[in-house]
Amino acid sequence: MDKKYILVKDTRRAGADQTEHFAGLLAAKIQAGPAADSVQVVRAADIGFYDQGLVLKFLPAGPVYLNVSEADLDRVVSETVLGGRVLEDLAAAGTARQLRVVLRNCGVINPESLEEYIRRDGYRALSRALFEYTPEKVIEEFKKSGLRGRGGAGYPTWLKWHLTRSVPGDEKYVICNADEGDPGAYMDRSILEGDPHSVLEGMIIAGYAIGAGRGYFYIRAEYPLAIERIGKAIGQARERGLLGAGILGSNFNFEVDIRLGAGAFVCGEETALIASIEGKRGTPRPRPPYPSVSGLWGKPTSINNVETFANVPVVMTRGGDWFAGIGTEKSRGTKVFAVTGKVRNSGLVEVPMGVTLRQIVFDIGGGVRSGKKIKAVQTGGPSGGVIPESRLDTPVDYENLQKLGSIMGSGGMIVMDEDDCMVDIAKFYLGFCVEESCGKCAPCRIGTYQLLKILERISEGEGRSEDLDQMRLIAQAMQKASLCGLGQTASNPVLSTLNYFENEYREHIQAKRCRSFKCRDLLTYSIIQSKCKRCRQCFLNCPVQAISGDREVGFYIQLDKCTKCGKCFEVCKFNAIARE
Amino acid sequence: MKKWNKSDLEKIRASQEPDRDWIRVGMSTCGIAAGAEAVFEYLREEVARRGLPIEVKKCGCLGMCYAEPLVEVRAAGLPRVIYGQVNRELARLIVESHLVEKKLVSDHIYSFNREE
Repeated sequence: MDKKYILVKDTRRAGADQTEHFAGLLAAKIQAGPAADSVQVVRAADIGFYDQGLVLKFLPAGPVYLNVSEADLDRVVSETVLGGRVLEDLAAAGTARQLRVVLRNCGVINPESLEEYIRRDGYRALSRALFEYTPEKVIEEFKKSGLRGRGGAGYPTWLKWHLTRSVPGDEKYVICNADEGDPGAYMDRSILEGDPHSVLEGMIIAGYAIGAGRGYFYIRAEYPLAIERIGKAIGQARERGLLGAGILGSNFNFEVDIRLGAGAFVCGEETALIASIEGKRGTPRPRPPYPSVSGLWGKPTSINNVETFANVPVVMTRGGDWFAGIGTEKSRGTKVFAVTGKVRNSGLVEVPMGVTLRQIVFDIGGGVRSGKKIKAVQTGGPSGGVIPESRLDTPVDYENLQKLGSIMGSGGMIVMDEDDCMVDIAKFYLGFCVEESCGKCAPCRIGTYQLLKILERISEGEGRSEDLDQMRLIAQAMQKASLCGLGQTASNPVLSTLNYFENEYREHIQAKRCRSFKCRDLLTYSIIQSKCKRCRQCFLNCPVQAISGDREVGFYIQLDKCTKCGKCFEVCKFNAIARE
Repeated sequence: MKKWNKSDLEKIRASQEPDRDWIRVGMSTCGIAAGAEAVFEYLREEVARRGLPIEVKKCGCLGMCYAEPLVEVRAAGLPRVIYGQVNRELARLIVESHLVEKKLVSDHIYSFNREE
């Protein structure tokens, strides 16, 4: 009899973790029976389910049981451990699971080994495209797949390729946009580091489809490991004839180069990116003409995101119809999200489109780390917005997120709880945009600055009642008149927080109160004498000596000296510091 | 170096990797930042020192960045599992318990919920 393993984990949120207790009980029951030597009970650190009571997972290939009670353990032993039968009433069902299409090789293969990639079906898509498909037929396959750009805007990939192909000319380019810059987003970095050949293969296929002879990776210089691994992949592909003249013995020629971005957020915008590759200042220009007509060096150019390219080989090997079978009607396939912020399990998550935000945060992310109430989820970076708790059951796709005043974006997803102040969040993103606005057009350059100034005023307790309308007006002007996507969307964090959390803004302006205790200038600290044990911790830890007194008379905060850093609040063990 | 054609790729795919045991260490930026390099070096040396028939390999990021450094182990007779927040001490335990005694190590296994 092969040995069996049972992973045990107490996943309840409240109370002490009883994993050890239950694992001991289960092990004792098994020890007493005939399976004593063939089963190992193992305590798991994380079992992949959260808030589902006691969870048991049978390895190597067995069921997962949720919400198991102590009384169930006898049944589990007699039926499943000894009898090999699944207890249907305990078996896991209905929680969202990850589906790995883009990340199929990440964490699985050695990213520096071309052979390992080939063994996992690598470059099969390229062979198929070159020897079995005309370029038009490749584009047709992507039309069937419904794949849309994963950089954020969601433009149909096939259409971009088709348009670039249709423009006459024998010099065309493909660009891989790896200038990932949204705060908290790092999907592209992980794909480039974990599976560089899949992105390269996608790019070569795109080159074949549109009739391009050269491609560029535009990678931000802050990603040294991604650059190193893509560089290695390109070198290996070149040596083996997967790049260069007559790829794999066909008559298709394609070369690839890397260009590094120097850290400007705006260079992720396609026209600014092109200018940067050309050696010019990285600023956008008005469109049209779109890059598909006049792009790099004035030639037809298709710019696609890293994740889009990583999808390409899968669409070619498994077929457009297979891909279209995943996701929602208008958003096919999967999406990789970088889930960060107040979530328990921060990391990369790949799910089919149409899974809800709540499922991503709770079923996969494990919920809010602090156990506090979730307030909102921010998606789409500085171009996106916050989605309040009441809308978390929305299925994630391009259209739905836009309807909620946010965007899919490249896949950043920041979880916020009650400790996050919405005015502060808006201020953070606007601060980012002020830094990153290239300054070429006035609506963005001046608009972001003015919005930031108003937000700063509100957070300092100097807000005026007309500020909210004023911000809406400025935001509208920026949306309509800015030159590129950065300025057109920079006001989204303000508009979406205003839309869903106007009462928080009003509290800041009228009551001079910040319910999340984030806006320092609105806080006052004082010592509750009835609770104070005179332990002196606040007195000793205050960095500006704003606390006076002694053990005889008690301690007092001198408000004129206090910088509201919150140190006393943190160190007080008796909850004797009041924060209002 | 010889340039490959279509059938060369087929040959590589057909040549199955020998069915051997392996340890994978996540070595993307997230893993390295959490200390994966030291774990990787330690496992390499320890496996070589004991002469264990198992290959220690690098791989990319599995996505569970909160639990880095991640070490996945496939050893004959045991189910494939992922250990999280691995440091030198835990790496030693993995070698001694998982590889030598053929027992899973409690309290450090991270299992994630995905379609296989």
